[in-house]
Amino acid sequence: MSLFRKIHDWLNVRLGVDDLVEKQLTGYLLPANINRWYSLGSVLLFIFTLQVISGVLLLVYYVPDADKAFSSVTAIMNTVPYGWLIRLCHVVGSNMMVLVLILHMLSVLFMGSYKRPRELNWLSGFVILTLVMAISLTGYLLPWSQLSFWATTVATNSAGAIPFVGSYLVEFLRGGTLVGPYTLGRFFALHVAVIPIGIVAMIGLHLFLLERIGVSAPPFGLPDTKNPWKGDRFRHEDHPGGIPFFPNYLLSDLTSVAIYLAFFLLILFFAPNMFLPKDAFIPANPFQTPAHIKPEWYFLPNYQTLKIFPNEFIGLMVQGVGITFLALLPFIDRGREQHPLKRPLFMVCAVGGILLWIGLMIWGHYS
Amino acid sequence: MESSSRRKFLVTCLGAMGVTGLGAVLYPLFRYLSPSKDAEARQKVTFQLSELAEGGAHYFQMDGKAGVLVRPKGGTIAVFSAVCTHLGCIVQWQKAQDQFICPCHGGQFSAQGAVLGGPPPKPLEKLPFVVNGTTITIG
Repeated sequence: MSLFRKIHDWLNVRLGVDDLVEKQLTGYLLPANINRWYSLGSVLLFIFTLQVISGVLLLVYYVPDADKAFSSVTAIMNTVPYGWLIRLCHVVGSNMMVLVLILHMLSVLFMGSYKRPRELNWLSGFVILTLVMAISLTGYLLPWSQLSFWATTVATNSAGAIPFVGSYLVEFLRGGTLVGPYTLGRFFALHVAVIPIGIVAMIGLHLFLLERIGVSAPPFGLPDTKNPWKGDRFRHEDHPGGIPFFPNYLLSDLTSVAIYLAFFLLILFFAPNMFLPKDAFIPANPFQTPAHIKPEWYFLPNYQTLKIFPNEFIGLMVQGVGITFLALLPFIDRGREQHPLKRPLFMVCAVGGILLWIGLMIWGHYS
Repeated sequence: MESSSRRKFLVTCLGAMGVTGLGAVLYPLFRYLSPSKDAEARQKVTFQLSELAEGGAHYFQMDGKAGVLVRPKGGTIAVFSAVCTHLGCIVQWQKAQDQFICPCHGGQFSAQGAVLGGPPPKPLEKLPFVVNGTTITIG
């Protein structure tokens, strides 16, 4: 008997490994008409893991002190062997994570997977999106460059438009009247500890819900489940006759990860400064605001919305209503139909919303 | 048979690609985490002789190691590594006795670095230095 076999048997009698593999991998059947878009969740898990690894590696040399932060990042980029690679992986990865997260949400939207009984999947995913935006915002300050400093000043300033508590909230966020060393300490703690723990917890919940409720079938093709949700009692939506997760869909997941890596490495090696404008290479100067300071691309629509409205509070309210509407969409859109072409009102709103979002982003970039 | 050899070839290619990919990831990671020689390197350390009174000692860092510049009473200036040759503790200059004592296990060294007593197996390592007028340059 081989050593591998012995280890397997030892574990099997104690943990029921064969049963676990059968239940969670080879016998875990997915809809027969499942498509490539379903693998974006796995791609996101991969990106998040890469962000955690590169983030931990950056912590080896990064100094969270306003006097030393910029020089420590400069040393990582210029002195530490392959430091540039680790940092660029983190910078490019953070942007790609937001992009893939948005694509994942769009696929869920267009295939109607957010509909009941998966309201909680959607909500937990929405919370993950919010946390990813928050981790990006807090991470933006850490290099303590002109870009970091002033983008954070602008971002925290907008909270001041909230009536009554606005100015206190701004001060609370910054740890002082202005962005300074205390802001760096707060944002550092949020970026490396608080928000990552929140994201991991929400990913855990998201995956638990996915497993418990069952994978939704794409609306393209015949319904394959014999146990559809009817609202009377809990029913796990299984897919008899579907394709096994292992090895079939795992291979598809890995193919998607490989495609993602191709794009990721393309940016990393051929356009490394795509997400690092000129001001990212100048140390923070609290007495000199650079001209045309802009937030990251995914915050540009919010930035432009605030600029459109004459009153900042109205701008914030409009965004708040939009975000709340999107978060509560499964509770508003209660129709059973999932096929996008059979939901004309949804299609008009979704396509219009996406075009508006892209339009505001472009406008914000050139304004 | 043909199918089996093709499979074997493909598995070998896949394995080689995997090993290459793993190497491409692990090598930068190893280099990134390896201690940097440049970061600790201090090319030379310079002092003014006036900073050091007779019978006194001055501690400094060079190449990531502790060193000591000593000016014994009536003696000539000497520069040593301050690391005890026994177990690596930092030797302390005793002005009154004109000698070094290691606080860890009581090793004793003369102002010239020679072992006077205790467990140290060899003398303190001498560091090269140049005196130029009122300036001393170590390294």
